[in-house]
Amino acid sequence: MNQKQKLFLQHKFLQTEVKMNKPKYLYKSEEFLKVYEFVSEGLKGNVKKVVQFTETGTQNVFNLAFGDFNDATNLIDDLSITNNGDSLKVLTTVASIVYAFTEKYPDAWIFATGSTNVRTRLYRMGITNNLVEIKEDFEVYGLTEDGNWAEFITGEDYEAFLITKKR
Amino acid sequence: MTIEQLNSSKVPVIVFDKKLEQFRDKVLFPEKVAQANEILSKVGLPNTKTLSADKQK
Repeated sequence: MNQKQKLFLQHKFLQTEVKMNKPKYLYKSEEFLKVYEFVSEGLKGNVKKVVQFTETGTQNVFNLAFGDFNDATNLIDDLSITNNGDSLKVLTTVASIVYAFTEKYPDAWIFATGSTNVRTRLYRMGITNNLVEIKEDFEVYGLTEDGNWAEFITGEDYEAFLITKKR
Repeated sequence: MTIEQLNSSKVPVIVFDKKLEQFRDKVLFPEKVAQANEILSKVGLPNTKTLSADKQK
């Protein structure tokens, strides 16, 4: 199978309904749909974001992380506070990327936590804002203060999140 | 594609970019992955059977 056929099949494979029709950025990916890139456009100008799903030591569990990509240094910074005024649009884009990733890897569990407490709260906000739509297709868990996974509930504080497609 | 078309799209719209292949085998966020491994080794995955039973109570 040549590259063109592979890409065509992947496009066909991704013809699935995504319910989050909220503003989001167009994103690019590589063949395996593990690395994505999009450009945040806001108050501070254009900021390139890179999203990566990385296999963890636990089978079928992937870490989801994203940060700002600096073209000049070729480095990624997941601690920077961009303040580009588009955090909800960025989070909706990442949520859409989760849909794309789980179409290709339907048995995957996705682990996510913020680089800082503020960032973790931002992730929680992103999940909360899209929870109704997310819960139609995914199971969502939060890591509680006492170190246990619990079903994600709006308003609760969590240290990390796990998402998997409903089976 | 316009922004309006993108936002009303019901399918994930993905453009493939060969440049991103340079990152494929690299761990771009090693600290986050280490943190994930640390938490997962302590806590494991949710016991979905127990959690769904709790939900039904």
